[in-house]
Amino acid sequence: MHIVDGALSAPVLATGAVLSIAGVAIGLRKLDYNQLPQVGVLSAAFFVASYIHLPLGFSSVHLILNGLIGLTLGWVAFPALLVALLLQAVFFGFGGFLVLGVNAFNIAMPAVLVFYLCRKGLQSTNQRTVAIWGVVGGAGATCATTLFVALSLALSGDAFLLAAKVTFIAHIPIMIIEGFVTGAAVVLISKVKPELLGITD
Amino acid sequence: MKMHTFFFILLSLCLVEANAHNVLGGVYAIGEDVEGEIGFSNGDMAAAGNVVFVRDASGAQITVVETDDEGFFAFTATQRIDHYIFSDLGSGHVFNYVLPADELPDSLGSIVTVKAVEAVLSDSDLDPHSAQLKVMIEKAVAKQIRPLRKELNEYKEKVSLQDMLGGIGYIFGLCGVGIWLAQRNQKNNGAG
Repeated sequence: MHIVDGALSAPVLATGAVLSIAGVAIGLRKLDYNQLPQVGVLSAAFFVASYIHLPLGFSSVHLILNGLIGLTLGWVAFPALLVALLLQAVFFGFGGFLVLGVNAFNIAMPAVLVFYLCRKGLQSTNQRTVAIWGVVGGAGATCATTLFVALSLALSGDAFLLAAKVTFIAHIPIMIIEGFVTGAAVVLISKVKPELLGITD
Repeated sequence: MKMHTFFFILLSLCLVEANAHNVLGGVYAIGEDVEGEIGFSNGDMAAAGNVVFVRDASGAQITVVETDDEGFFAFTATQRIDHYIFSDLGSGHVFNYVLPADELPDSLGSIVTVKAVEAVLSDSDLDPHSAQLKVMIEKAVAKQIRPLRKELNEYKEKVSLQDMLGGIGYIFGLCGVGIWLAQRNQKNNGAG
């Protein structure tokens, strides 16, 4: 999911940076300061999740968690993910500094999209409906991220369909796992602390 | 239950390589022979047939090689210059490495060529000032330290628990600053 420095062209990098700055600005304006501890915990979860590789078949995958972050934070996902991505670049060498804007947009924008897409469904009193929308949110955010990554690569010269196919197929297992994890997390949250999902708004 | 079975089957069908990882690799000079390997941080190696470009500082192409099925590639340096090695592994994964000129033997560019080194030892080769002997020593030492360099490279890429805890600490610290600022604002507003 992390595109590295040197893979994208300058206009793509600049566009990504501008869009991310806009996203972060909206996120900071929407940020309710009582929400800060929650933002911190989710940001830290994302930071660590990319490092914990779960063995799957012959390869390994790691969780992205942008779906869950989007469902609980909405636009605030932008600043939360930007901080985590910045620290990942510093500590783990994931991605890079020049591509930070593109990476932040590719991961945070899908989070915002699933927030609007699944918001209604999560407010249902039916556990099953909540679980389904959680799965949709988790898998959908990962799916959208792969498409955004493919698009960034395509705009820099890679053939879009090929790039999209490769990244999409490679991430199918992650989408499934992500869907399950987010679904389970959302059901748990809706039981024990529904206000985190904005249900009480 | 049906849903679970469906997902399980889908999951087992999808054991494809997920390259959502860092690109790692090393390039080692053993005399004039340069060997390198490219892989991912999860232990997978680059796919066979990946094109590796070797360029000089001005971007002019020196040679083009391909990785084998274990992510290895090799070429022979002919000049003692910085070699810029680049490979695009697709999906935003690129490998960039600069092999500095001083890792290549001094003899490159001078009269001694690879063939000369491979020639049978004669008495004059044992002369410590012989260029051939120098090349042979350089080659032997490079070969010996190669595994060490490889290990060092791997070690550098390893993320320690400290790094992870440090990152989490930064995030919580930032939140703390945010909360402090928010509270200060509230206090000021309350007072004003």
